[in-house]
Order: sequence, then C-alpha cells, then structure tokens
Amino acid sequence: MKLKKIILGLAFAIGLISCESLDVEPQSFYSDENFYKTIEDVEAAILYAYDALTLVSYAPVTYYLAELATDNCSVKPDEGADAQAFVNWEVTSQNELLTQFYRSVYIAINRANAVIENVEGKGFNPQDERRLLGEALFLRAYNHFNVVKAFGLAPLQKSLIDKLDETTAPLPEDMDEVYTFLIDDLTKAIDYLEVNRVAGRADKIAAQALLAKVYLFAASAKASGVPKYDAVTESADNLYAKAAEYSGYVLNGQGEYNHDLNLQNIYDVEKPTGPEHIFILSMDRLGTEEGNYSKLSKYFIPWLGGATVYLANNDNSYIATHDGWSVFQTNSDLYNSYEATDKRRNELIVSEIFDENGVSIGTIGDGTIPYPFTRKYVDPSFQGDKTSTKPYLIRYSDIQLVYAEATANTDGLIHYNQIRKRAGVSELPDLSGISVDEFRDLVIEERQREFAYEGDRLWDLRRNNIVQQEVVEAAGLSPEAVAFYPIPQREIDLNPNI
Amino acid sequence: MNKKNRIWLFSAILTVLCFGFVNAQITINGVVTDPGGQPLPGATIVEQGTNNGAITDFDGAFELSIANRETIIAVSYIGFIKKEIQVKGQTTFNIVLEEDVAQLNEVVVVGYGAVKKSDLTGSVSSVKMDKLPARATNSIDGLLQGQVAGVQVVSPSDDPGAGSVVRIRGGSSLRGGNDPLVVVDGFPIGNAGDLKQISPQDIASMEVLKDASASAIYGSRGANGVIMITTKKGAKNTTEVTVSQQNTFSSFTSELNLWRDPALMAELNNEGRINGGFVPIYIGAEDVNGVYYPSVQELKDGTWPYFTQWDDVVFRNPVSNNTNLAIRSQTDKTQFSLSTTYYTNEGIYINDDYEKLNINLNVIHKIFNDKAKVGGNVIYSKGKRNNNGGLAYWRNPIFPVYDDNNDYFLIGNNDFSHPIALTNHRTSKNEFKDFIGSAFIDVQFLPSLNLRTQLNHKFGHSITDYYNPKVYTLDGTFNNGAGGISNWENNETVVETYLTFNKTFNEKHQLSAMGGVSYQYYTSRTSDLKAFDFFNESLGNEYLAAGNPDQQSVANSLTETVMYSYLGRLNYTYNDKYLATFTMRSDGSSKFGSNNRWATFPSGAVGWKMHKEDFISDLNIFNELKLRGSYGISGNQGIAPYLINSRYGQDRYYVNGGWQTTIGPGFVVDRDAQTGKKTWAGIPNPDLKWETTSQLNIGADFAFFDRRLKVTVDYYDKYTTDLLRERLLSPSSSYDEMWVNDGEIQNKGVELTIDGIILNKENWDFSGSLIFSKNKNEVVSLGNEISSGLNTDALTGMKYEFSGSVVEAFRAIPNILAVGQPINVFYGYRVDGIIQSEDEGLAAGLTGALAQPGEFKYLDLNEDGVIDENDRTIIGDPNPDFLASLNLQARYKQFDLSLFFNGSFGQDIFDTKRFNEPSNQPLRWTLDNLTNSYPSLREGRNLFMSDWFIQKASFVRLQNFSLGYRFENLNSSKIKNARVFVNGTNLFTITDFEGYDPEVGSNGIYWGGYPKLRNWTLGLEFTF
Repeated sequence: MKLKKIILGLAFAIGLISCESLDVEPQSFYSDENFYKTIEDVEAAILYAYDALTLVSYAPVTYYLAELATDNCSVKPDEGADAQAFVNWEVTSQNELLTQFYRSVYIAINRANAVIENVEGKGFNPQDERRLLGEALFLRAYNHFNVVKAFGLAPLQKSLIDKLDETTAPLPEDMDEVYTFLIDDLTKAIDYLEVNRVAGRADKIAAQALLAKVYLFAASAKASGVPKYDAVTESADNLYAKAAEYSGYVLNGQGEYNHDLNLQNIYDVEKPTGPEHIFILSMDRLGTEEGNYSKLSKYFIPWLGGATVYLANNDNSYIATHDGWSVFQTNSDLYNSYEATDKRRNELIVSEIFDENGVSIGTIGDGTIPYPFTRKYVDPSFQGDKTSTKPYLIRYSDIQLVYAEATANTDGLIHYNQIRKRAGVSELPDLSGISVDEFRDLVIEERQREFAYEGDRLWDLRRNNIVQQEVVEAAGLSPEAVAFYPIPQREIDLNPNI
Repeated sequence: MNKKNRIWLFSAILTVLCFGFVNAQITINGVVTDPGGQPLPGATIVEQGTNNGAITDFDGAFELSIANRETIIAVSYIGFIKKEIQVKGQTTFNIVLEEDVAQLNEVVVVGYGAVKKSDLTGSVSSVKMDKLPARATNSIDGLLQGQVAGVQVVSPSDDPGAGSVVRIRGGSSLRGGNDPLVVVDGFPIGNAGDLKQISPQDIASMEVLKDASASAIYGSRGANGVIMITTKKGAKNTTEVTVSQQNTFSSFTSELNLWRDPALMAELNNEGRINGGFVPIYIGAEDVNGVYYPSVQELKDGTWPYFTQWDDVVFRNPVSNNTNLAIRSQTDKTQFSLSTTYYTNEGIYINDDYEKLNINLNVIHKIFNDKAKVGGNVIYSKGKRNNNGGLAYWRNPIFPVYDDNNDYFLIGNNDFSHPIALTNHRTSKNEFKDFIGSAFIDVQFLPSLNLRTQLNHKFGHSITDYYNPKVYTLDGTFNNGAGGISNWENNETVVETYLTFNKTFNEKHQLSAMGGVSYQYYTSRTSDLKAFDFFNESLGNEYLAAGNPDQQSVANSLTETVMYSYLGRLNYTYNDKYLATFTMRSDGSSKFGSNNRWATFPSGAVGWKMHKEDFISDLNIFNELKLRGSYGISGNQGIAPYLINSRYGQDRYYVNGGWQTTIGPGFVVDRDAQTGKKTWAGIPNPDLKWETTSQLNIGADFAFFDRRLKVTVDYYDKYTTDLLRERLLSPSSSYDEMWVNDGEIQNKGVELTIDGIILNKENWDFSGSLIFSKNKNEVVSLGNEISSGLNTDALTGMKYEFSGSVVEAFRAIPNILAVGQPINVFYGYRVDGIIQSEDEGLAAGLTGALAQPGEFKYLDLNEDGVIDENDRTIIGDPNPDFLASLNLQARYKQFDLSLFFNGSFGQDIFDTKRFNEPSNQPLRWTLDNLTNSYPSLREGRNLFMSDWFIQKASFVRLQNFSLGYRFENLNSSKIKNARVFVNGTNLFTITDFEGYDPEVGSNGIYWGGYPKLRNWTLGLEFTF
C-alpha cells in the first residue's frame, strides 16, 4: 500500500523530468528571436547602427588613417609602433589600429543590415518603414564607402551575418561592382528619406551629399589613373557630372542646410545643428563610457601641464579647455599652407594660451605650446577628460567644394570663392587662363586648408593620385600600396574566400 | 594540606599498598594471535587499573607479573578489538584477537551511495575528521590541505575571507574552469575554493573522488574531481553539547622590504633618473605638480622633518575569533544536530574586516517501523566584508600623514593613495546571505531495495556597495563622485531520486545496483545601479539620486540553466575477491547547443583483493593487497549559458538632447579598461558542448604489519578533448570571436600515500603519513592554428598563445600556452649577466640605450645579430615537479602534538620584484661596482620579460603545528571532556626564493606585496 504510493511517486518524478524541455528562453537579453517586434525596436536598432560610428576603435582611429598618413599631422613620438607606421607609410596587414578600423566599419555595416532585413514586410507604418530603411541604407553605404576609401576591394556585406557560415564573405569582383552597390544603396536612400534634420542622424540631404562624394571619388580616381578604378565602366566625365548633379541638389534643392558665415560658429561644440552640419556624429560629455562621450580633444590638444587653459575667441572672449595628450601634432606643411590672413589658421589654430583673466601664459615661440594645435575639437564645458566634441562627417562647405570640383566652371567658382571669402583670403575673379584640371587642383588645395583635422585629407590625396607628390614618406611605394591600405592579416587568415 | 604534603602522603600510601600485596604476586604468560593463528608482535597487555603492562615479542609471546589473581588484563592491538580477560588464577593464555570489523568495514561516501572502503575499485580518498588532528582553520580547503595525494590546495591570499585554489590531479581545462565539484550531504552545491557556508567544525568526513570510475557518476560536472562532504549528525544515544572557542593572532612572517633610509632612497632615485635622462626629483625644489622634494642633503642632515613608516600606519596585528556551539542528540527514532559558528576575521590592513555567522540544523527521524527515514538539513549563513585592502604601505616615507593644518598631506593634486583618507572616506563593502536546505526520504521497502529522494535548494544573495568621493579617489575625481550598489541573487534547485538494490546470491555473488534521475534548475539575477556627479555626497551611495540624473546607469540580468540527468551504477563482487563497478550518467543541459544536447559518461572499474587468495595470504606479508584499475569518461560544462543563442548588445546614443538605448547584433564580451577597446561576440554556436575527459587509473592498496603500515599508490592518465575556447572570426563578419570546442590537454601522474603507526602504547602514540604526488601536464593541442590565432615560436616553430594579462612593467604577458608544453610556461628572453662595456652590448646585438654598460645582456638566440622578439624562448615552468607533505602525530598521555609539513618542488616563479626593491637597489651596477648580478638604475628602462626574473621556488613549509592537552576524568559531572590547544600555521619555510613567500597563484607570477601571515591560535573545547 505504502509501497505503491512510493512507486507511484517515483514514476511521477521520472515522468516530470522526461516531459520538461531543455530549451531555455533568453530572459534578459535581446536576440534575433525576440527583437524587431515593434517600430520602437527598429528605432533602437537603427540608433545602434549610428552608435557604431562612435566606437573608440572607429571614430578616433579614422584620424590615424586619414590625417597622420598625410602632410597634415604627425604623431607623438612615444605613441606605439602601429601609430608611427601611418606617419611613415609602413602600415602592414598586421597593424592593429588598421584592423580595429576595418572591424569597426563592418560592425556598423552589420548593424545597418540588421535594420534592412527586419524592417521590410513587418507591417510597420510605411512612412516609418521608408525612413528607417533609408537611414540604414545610407549607413551601409557610408561605411562601405569608408571601406573602399581605405582598403579598395574588400567584402561587401549585403545581408545580416548571424551564423558561422556567413562569416567568410568573398571580395567583390571589381570597383564597378563596389560603386554600383554604393550608388544603388544611396539612390534608394534618397528616394526613401525626407529632409529631416536631427543631429547625429542622416536625412535625404545627407544621402545626396554622400552620393555626390561617392561619384566625385570615382570620377577623380578614374581620371587620375588610381589602380583598379579603370574597372569603373562609367566615364570620368559622366561621374563628375553625377557628382555635380547630386551636390547641386544639396546646394540648391533645400533650405535646411547652408553656408555658415562665422568660422568659429561651425566648430562650436554646442551647435551640432548649425547650418553647416549635414551629417555630424553625436557624443555627449554626460556619457559614462568613452564613445558615449568623446575624448577627441585630448588627441589634438598638446599636453600643457595638466591645467585648464583658455583660448582667445574672435570676439575677444575666451573659452576654457583641458589640455591633451599631444597625439596628433600639426605639421608645418599644413601650417604654412595658409596665407597670413587666413582666418582658418588665425582663428582655428592656436599658438597662444591664456589664463582665465585673458593674460597670456605662453606661446609657440616661448615653448609653452609644443606645436600649433587645432581648436576644432574644444569643449569649454569638459568634465575631466569627457567632452562633447564630435567628428564632422559631412559639412555644407564640403559639398560646396565637391560641386566646385565636379563642375569646374563658373557656377562652381562661386562656391569656391564663398569658402575663401569666409576665410578672409583673396577670391579668384574668374577662370580665365585656368584649365579644368588646374582649377580642380586649386580646389583640392583649398580642401586641405578647409577640412584640415577633419579626417578627409588622405582620401583627397588618394583619389587624385597625388599621395606621393604631397607626402614624402610615401615615396617609393607601389601605386597599389599608396592607393589602398592592406586588408588586415586576420581577415586573410580567417577568411578562406580572400 | 599543602601540595608537598599531599605528594608525600600519596607516596606513602602507594608504598604501603605495594608491600601489602607483594606476597600475592604471580606471573602469567601467553601468546597473542589473530584469528588465523598468526602471532601479533607488539600487542599490549595491561593489568587493568594499573600502569603494569607488557608487550608481546616477535612470536606474540608475553610475560607479566600481576599482583592479584582476580585482576583483569586488557589486550589491545591496532586494528583489532580490545579484549579484556579475567585472570582467575589462570597463568597461561592463548589469546585470539578479533579483527576490528568496524574499521575494515569503514564506509566511504561516493556519489549516490556509500561503499565499504575495502570494496572500492576507484581512486577515492577519505578524510575522517575525528582522526584528523585539530587544525585551526576556517575553511574546508584548509582541512583538506596535505591530506590527500593528488589534491593541491593553494592559498595565495591572506585577505579576510579569501578563498583558495583547489586542484585534483592538475588542471584539465583552459577556459572551462578547474575547480572540483563539491557535494554536501548529497547536494552538489558548487565549486571548491570558496565554500563559506559550511563551518569546518560541522564536517564529519570528506571524500575526494579522483578517478573517472568515481567521478563519472557526476557526468558533465565530474572532470575536475569531486569532493564529497558529510556533515556531523546526532551523537550516539546521548545528548552532547560542544563549545569551542578559538582566537587567532597573526603577524607577518618577515620584515617588510621598504625604505627605512630616505636619504639612500633619494640618492638612488636621483641616480636612476639621471641615468634615464630625466631631471632628478630630490634636489630641494618643487616638481611639476608643485610638490616640494627635499634634496639628498636635507634628508641626510636631518633638516627634513618628516619620516613616516607607512606600514605602521596601514597595517595592524589582526586578531580573529571563531566561536562554535553545537548540540547533538540521538534517540532511537531521532537524530538531531544544531551547530552555530560565529567567525570574525581581521585583515592585516586597518578596517579590512570580515565576519560571518553559520547556523546548521540537521534532523533525521525514523518512520514506518524504522523502515524509512525522513530528514532535513537547513544551513543559514550570513556575513559581511569591509574592503580596505591595498592601502599604500609603499608610500614615499618622506611625506607626513597630516600637514600642518592637520589635513591629509596629499602629494600633489592627483594623489589617490592616501591610506587614511581612503580609509575614512571611501566606501567598499559587501554583505551576503546564503540559505541551503535539503529534505529527503529514504525508504528501505525491501531488505534489498532502497529508495531515496532528496530535494535540495540553495539561495544566495549578495549586495555590494561602493562610493568613491570627489577627492582622494581617481574614479571619484574623474566623475565628480561615483557610487553604486550591485545586487546578486541565485537560486538552485536539485531534485534527485534513486533506487538501490543490494543482494547477495549464493553467498558468493554480491550485487548492488543503483539507478536514478536528477533535475537541476539554476537562476542567477543581478542588478547594478550606478550614479556619478554627486551634488551632495554626505550620504554616499546610500543616496544615489544625489548623482546627476543624466548620468545614472542601471543594468540587470537574469540567467537560467536547466539540466536533466539519468544515472546508474552496478557493483558486483565475487567471493569478496573480485570487484567490478560500472557507472553511467547522461546529462542534458540547456547550456549545450541544439546539436549536442545530451552527453553520456560511462565508466568501468575492476578490483582484485589478492590478499584473499591463498597464495598471497600464505606469504604472511600482506594484510591487504588490492589491485584496482578503472577507465571512464567525465565532462566539464564550465561554460556560460546562452552561448548557443544569438545575443544582441546594447549601448546609448545621444539624440535630440537625450540618451536613447540602442540595441542590435554584436555583444561586448570584454572591454580593455585602459584603451576602451572592446571584444565583440554574440554569434551563436549550435554545436557547443562539454569538455570530455577520459581517465585511466591503475592503483594498488597495501597493508602490512597488521595494518600498521598502509600504502596506496595510483597512476593516472587523464586526457581532455574538446577544450572550450574562443575561436577568432574574420573581422569583416563584425564579430571577434565565438566559443567552440577545440584543443586537447593531458595530465599524467603518480600518487603515493604511506600511513604508518610507529608507536601505539598505553601512554604513547606516534603515527605519520607521507603523501607524494607528481603530475605532468601537457598542452597537446590548442585547436586550429588559424582560427585559434596561434603564434609561432621563431626558434622551434612551436605554436603558442599568451595566457593571462599584461604585466605593466614588462608590457608583456609572461605565461603562454604552448603545444607540447605544460600549462602556463614562461616565455621571454634569456639574459647572460650585465653588459660591462658598450662594445660588449653592441656585439651582443643590442642597440641604443639597451647596449650601454649596466644594461641586461640579452642573448641573441637565433644568432641573427639583433635582439628582437624572435629571440624569445621558454624560460621557466610554474608547475611543480611534485608535491609532498608529511603529517606527524604524537600523543603522550593527555598531550597531543601534530606537525604538518607541506612541500612543493621544482616550480619556477616569475619574480616581478627581483629588482628595484629597497633591498636590492643598492646592489645595482655602477662604474664603481661592475657587478654581473644587477643592472644599473635607469628610470624609463624598457624591461623585457627575461629569465633574469625567473627564480627557483621549491619550498618546504611547517604549515601547521598543534599542541593540545585533553582533560579527562574531570571531577565535574557536567563537563565530559575538555581540550585546550595552541595551533600555529605557516611557522617557517625553507626555500631559495628571494621574495616574501614562494606560494603564489598557479601562473607563478610573484607580485611582491607584503609577507605572508603567521597565525597563532589558542583554542578551547568543552563537551558537556
């Protein structure tokens, strides 16, 4: 009797165990199984894609690639060998900074692909669907464009990767496939997006601006004989025309963004929605980890004894800043490229520092300041090392000069002159006696002065095939080695399709 | 009556008595044998109630004069039942002693059952607490140390409440964890090393399951071995109250190696800075931070008024307390035990404290006419820890504690190491509560059939508080005040039911079969609140809302795992000679990938009691001779859950003036604190599974001289495959790594235990045990060379990866895992003395500053003319060649003495403090001291990992010394017995190692720090 009960109990216990399942649902994290259910989910996902651009391994590293390897900046002598390699044009496939950059760009792409795959056909409001899809396509193109500029032919990730067998993407066939893909994404993005300015996000104008830059890159690279660009089927002239067309839309087709007449205003850390900023990254000093807040200022400002110093504004007021780590140091090539009256040097490059009362405490001349440094990344409300300084990703002035370069005509000259006028240097009265190529060269020179420290210089040099002309350290290298950084060794090792 | 008189009187009475009976004396003689007729030499014969006695000779014969024909003689011999015989005028005796079956039938606990020790086929070591000399230890690991061959217990830290590292037969995993499983009264409660919920006083016995035959019954949790703990139950047929009180007084084993001569310190510091091309500091001027540093002259002539021995400021002589009160009782029906322990532990640093309270209640009651038992066990444990360790005892002695205004004297604005400021203003504490409950029913519903169901539950909670104020701390200064609260809670339920069948057929076939099921459900929850930028910090982290609302951060997590198991065991004995055991367990775990949900772990073992064979017993040498052999497979599932799921990550993005939570693919698994560089994972592996360890064990048990000498020897070969590790993924995939099973490791070894009873007399006992274990460990494979990202040694082509973290002074990781080598060998350059001239340096292949006189002369191993990373090689091995320990126990009347020596031989230490310490800096190379032993002092020198820093670290330590006195026949009817003892731990160490102590973590890196503690404990125990 009692025995029976016990046996029954045992049978019950065994039965209980046999019926239970071993599948444990994730309870406190999201995965592809429990996400993208609502429009808010997708909203969080697209912001995750933007957020990738703020990674410590992405945003600051961009400057190692695009500024250090040029005539603009050199690096602090006791930075690691991987940083020195950029200045000396000895970047190998083992370079850890390069690998970090490469991996980060693909992180951003995968996050964009997650949105692209999970927004369509989910029954969301079509307006939301188009906006989110447009932004994701923009980001996928923006990051792939970075891949192309830095590495040339590298994998195009056209879909979300979430399985081991998807981690070995092949290389694209040629540059034509790459540019077709970029142009296709951006054309769709332009179609899907509206003009809708939000600092830290992209809208229709940003997509048009980026497409103009993509066309210009292909045009000038093809025209100047950059390796692999002969595969682009469209003619250089047509590509220039397309660049002109899309930059024209930006300059003439909208009223949200325009030319900012006040130079220092462009770089005011509190004004990410200033007229110039078509696409700007968003970081804030209230963040709790780097990436949420920015330390860009620390990279550009020299070590000045650890104290708070003051910089003179053009209205005779002063703004405070912490000092920095002296990582990116201004080259004399860049400093000397400015005319004496150029406000971009006199107002944006610092040669004298002050105390809180405006009393000078040192200059370049007396050795207090080791090198003239930019104040494009200064946050007077810094908290310790934390600032809101942001990378300027696409500025209106950039598109003005894209237009000038692409058209190389009197329409373009107007924009070229507008930039020079704001800087306080002489304008070019007309194009007489100046060939198209000569004018484009002038624009490239102007771009160096205008976008110094903004992470665009190497791309300008590369697409015009003038790296070796401007950067002595690059002498003697093969055209391929100049045009593209090597694909990281880790990718070559781990990806049998490369 | 004074004392002297009493002695006189006593002597007088004795004399009278002796004379009174002298005429009655007779002589008796005889032979003492075992049941088989073998003489027992050395047996004791005592006339009861007197000190009169004799010992048998080699033939077992004895002769004894007795005073009284009616007296009783007691005959005793170790391993046999004591016999009392009435003389009754008889003069010749043939005394046959019966073997003490209780001892032979000593039962040891194995997984899901118990087995007679003599019937064991696997490698199981048993430690019975009543046979262990009392050790003043506050941890179970401390009890186990040196008791079991093949078990290594290392306690690298003297911090209050710190755990230890327990390894059974070496480490067989790289990433899956190497801690043995601990099972308390049938409840598998977790990993060894930090079992704080059970007080050592409550333990009755511990069994260590070492080979696969023993541990495979725990399946996917058995590969690292299993420690079975049995707690004390009710006392026999009585009520017993035990009170014990221990106080421990600790102090450093050696002097601290700190600057006591500030002028010399300053002089050498200046020398080092000048040699490095820096401006010297001690020149009587302010440095860049505005701090005035006196000149060497000021320090020498006494003009400088300050000298602080910071070690006196931050260290104390800690006193710890352990009070235990236990009541145990047993009636025919009920057994009950209640034990409480209160323990406080002071750290060597001021205010660095730990305390805990354990309550353990155990009740067993018989029902159904004693055919069934029900019982329960409740353990409640709570405690707290105030962290104040790591204070700056190394602070510059030329600065005072307080300035002239009685404020803390800070060395510049970025001084975050003022020990008194941190002690008074920083908060760092932790509180924990644990509850462990079990209930069981055990039904013997047939004489041969038993059913046991046990339900176990464990609950743990911990809350951690911290606050770093705006001044005095780096974090607080950077964030304008930073504080937080972390909560952690776990729940674990284990339900197990098993049937045991036991029957002997035809008297010769003894069969025992067990089969059962097990279910385990585990959850862990955490929540983490942080705030920064406090406008008011008077309440610290108790008022996190005082932080800036924009900077508050919250995080929480919930983890769940489920495991189902089926298990079984078959024991078969033929004629009490031939033994066979088979076990099997199947584990299904939610941690395993969908393609590998169920794992099966079989094992088999055979044993042969050769001493039962006539051809052995006829030899009359062995009391026991048993051969054992086993082979089996066990596993290690020490992987985080959810690695089989795709996992999304989270961050924040600042949009429209506020933070938005962002979510998507890619999950941060690691973030470098210094560079902020993240490691990304989150891609699932549906093939992920357990690590598999197959183990062969061959052993033998011997007993000689009527079991006064026992020898156990074992050989094992453990081979682990499918090692859990992270494989690398191509960076274009956006993921850095993914968990896979790839890699192999082998541990082979020999274990030897010798127990001897050297002396066993009425008043004297002397016994000892020697334990020896040798383990040889080899990394056989680190998996796919490419996907594992292995490096190649330039000299030999050996594949390796670095293991551990960067040692800042060397900017290198000292340990590597290398194919064909033991785990964690040291990798670096070789040094051949010191360069004496620049020519010598250049000729050695060095350049620049490294080629100067006074620098290390690194060896150009590949002889390519330059010293670079291709000249690195294996320069040391932190794994010991063998371990040995010796336990000696002696008793004289009521005094008992025990000594425990522990030794570890053949291991190397990477001594990061070999140079630049106050004791060795003066020995530096200079132009006046062209030494080949130490380099010059040069600030900013880039140190390479080299064999110059490797030291031999073999040691023998008197780990434990205990001297006790037992009060017997106390006049008080209340107190049954009492014992006082003094116990010393870590009394002395014999070693060539130059640092404070050679016992370091398993990676062999010595960090300096401060000396080990020596502890003296005074203890008192009463039983009522």
